[in-house]
Amino acid sequence: MKTKRLLAALTASALVATLFAGCGGSGSGSDNAAADSGSADTSSSASAGKTTVNVWATGSDNVRQIFETLVEDFNTNSEYKDTYEAKLNFLLSGTGGATLPDMLISSYKANQEKTDFDVMDLGDEDVTKVLSMVGEDAIQPLDFSKIPNAEKVSAKPIALEGKLQPYRGTTVVLAYNSDKIPENEVPTTYDELEQWIKDHPGRFVYNTPGTGGAGDSFARTTVYNLIDDPSALTSSDPKWMEQWDAGFEKLKELHPYMYKSGGTIVYPNKNQGALDLLTQGEIDMCPMWADMVLSQRKAGIVPESVKITTIQPSFQGSVQGICVPASSSNPEGGFAFINYILSADAQTLLVQQMAAIPVVTDGVDLSGAEDLMNLDTSKFRTMGIGDLGTDFNARWDDEIGTLG
Amino acid sequence: MNKAKERNRMLIGYALALPAFLTVMLTVAYPIVSNVIMSFQDEGTGAFTLDNYKYFFTTPAQLKNIGFTLYIVVMTVVLAVVIAYLLALYLRFIKSPISKAIGTLYLLPRFIPGLVAVYAMITIIRDSGVINRISLLFGYDFKPALMYHASGMIMMNLWFNIPFAALMITAGLGAIPDSVIESARDVGASKLRVFRSIILPLSVKDVVIAGTFVFMSNVGSFTTPYLMGGNSPKMLAIALFDQFNKYLNYNRAAALSVIMFLICSVSAGVYIYTNLKENEWE
Repeated sequence: MKTKRLLAALTASALVATLFAGCGGSGSGSDNAAADSGSADTSSSASAGKTTVNVWATGSDNVRQIFETLVEDFNTNSEYKDTYEAKLNFLLSGTGGATLPDMLISSYKANQEKTDFDVMDLGDEDVTKVLSMVGEDAIQPLDFSKIPNAEKVSAKPIALEGKLQPYRGTTVVLAYNSDKIPENEVPTTYDELEQWIKDHPGRFVYNTPGTGGAGDSFARTTVYNLIDDPSALTSSDPKWMEQWDAGFEKLKELHPYMYKSGGTIVYPNKNQGALDLLTQGEIDMCPMWADMVLSQRKAGIVPESVKITTIQPSFQGSVQGICVPASSSNPEGGFAFINYILSADAQTLLVQQMAAIPVVTDGVDLSGAEDLMNLDTSKFRTMGIGDLGTDFNARWDDEIGTLG
Repeated sequence: MNKAKERNRMLIGYALALPAFLTVMLTVAYPIVSNVIMSFQDEGTGAFTLDNYKYFFTTPAQLKNIGFTLYIVVMTVVLAVVIAYLLALYLRFIKSPISKAIGTLYLLPRFIPGLVAVYAMITIIRDSGVINRISLLFGYDFKPALMYHASGMIMMNLWFNIPFAALMITAGLGAIPDSVIESARDVGASKLRVFRSIILPLSVKDVVIAGTFVFMSNVGSFTTPYLMGGNSPKMLAIALFDQFNKYLNYNRAAALSVIMFLICSVSAGVYIYTNLKENEWE
């Protein structure tokens, strides 16, 4: 009897203990990763004269796939395989944990001098965030003597030139159904596009801003085309909000010509929502990410008749950058990886596997993605309006989304 | 001596209940309390305010969202429960190979992942979907106008909820002994009379409970309205997602959660009331 009772009490306390252990673990799980990386200066000195290069990247699953391929290719590349061993650390975006720029920022604020953030992939919004929170000292200048391949690259990063190396481009383009729209009627400027939309009611749509970058880009381009100062495009200063009025009027004016279902205007959610409408022939044109159209066309999901084109002034494009954080334990390895990613081999992988826009074209195999040839990364219209994006989406939902 | 023993036993009882109690406190009660507190706080200063609630009850678009959500949920509950009740009656009282087959098949939708089902439905009902293509074969260009509209979402909800409601009601009907019905028939009760005086009163509780469950699970449904809904009006779960993910306004998101919680608690109240009444009946 007594032993039974004792057993019960023990079990109960064991359960309580595991419960607390469980809570502690899940609560700080995401922080642990950041903290661990701070104390990991030993990990970069691997055996046999090889040093470890920790590659950090973030994004959707297609980014994970391409980085896995790149790291594997780097580790078997004759030029680097005897000196370095790359290791991928990938953070899937949108899963609620700390983001990559958050981790870099917290590590920098905690004065960690040697981390295993050896080389890091950063997008426009990430860079804007790092700059606004800790400034540019968190990233070290690139040693171009160790990155000879960078010479051929003409694309410029949105900020931090000399510290952030552009390595692939991505842009929103105009996707259209070439069966329905003859070559000579395809819009080449924003004004022509506007006219086309009005001439073909119900045949164009953009996805709800805030649910996908293509819709964001169309709405923002429409608004910012009507602001004379080009510096507004890369500013998060709230003063620009006062100048949005004309653009929102324009969006209101275009509203009645958008896609209709059952008699009411509908904006689909997500990029894919708009692309599906185009694929199904319910619309003939929409703004879309170039890589989405090309990779899905390659997979046979999007018909061959769907083509892409750019207009002037263009939709938002961005160059993805890669950098070596100041606290890198292995900057040499970081530079080597950057040099590799700019090589023709790596650029070919980027083109073929994720339909990325290459930053160099010499020796890069563009077969199947010839549309990319016309997209010049050095002429991309980058946009980074930071926190204003939140207000922008809210205003769109409030003024345009409710028009019905 | 005896008292000490009793107290010990009580303590062990508490110790055994403690893990479950703490789990509930930490994962349910604590987040709810902190959420409610947050909903009354100003976004910037953290001071007490009712503005977060005011926003949802004064902004026309948000009021429309609340009305739209209630419309979809109530329609789903009514249709799902009525259809499920008819289905359950058929399965309980008609014995044939067809009813047997339906009896095994009707649960199938519950084994299909939600996302897959939603995409399948979209493929069929969208304006260029299967229905449209079949109509084209006959020379018509029929556009169902279900996709992006309330009717499409209600249809999808029925797919998810009819099997669930039917399962609950079938269990209730199964508990009615054949002997009761047979004896009523023996003394000359008509079929309608048997239904009105025996089957309906004995199963109404399960119907109400099924209805409350369907109600609660649909107030917060996300996947269906996100993929099938238009941009305005929106169901509350999407409006909540907007506040949380698009506008990063956590205090308003908290207030909307409380509003949704209150809507659900009406249904929970009905559920508890029905359960209490059961004891009276017996």
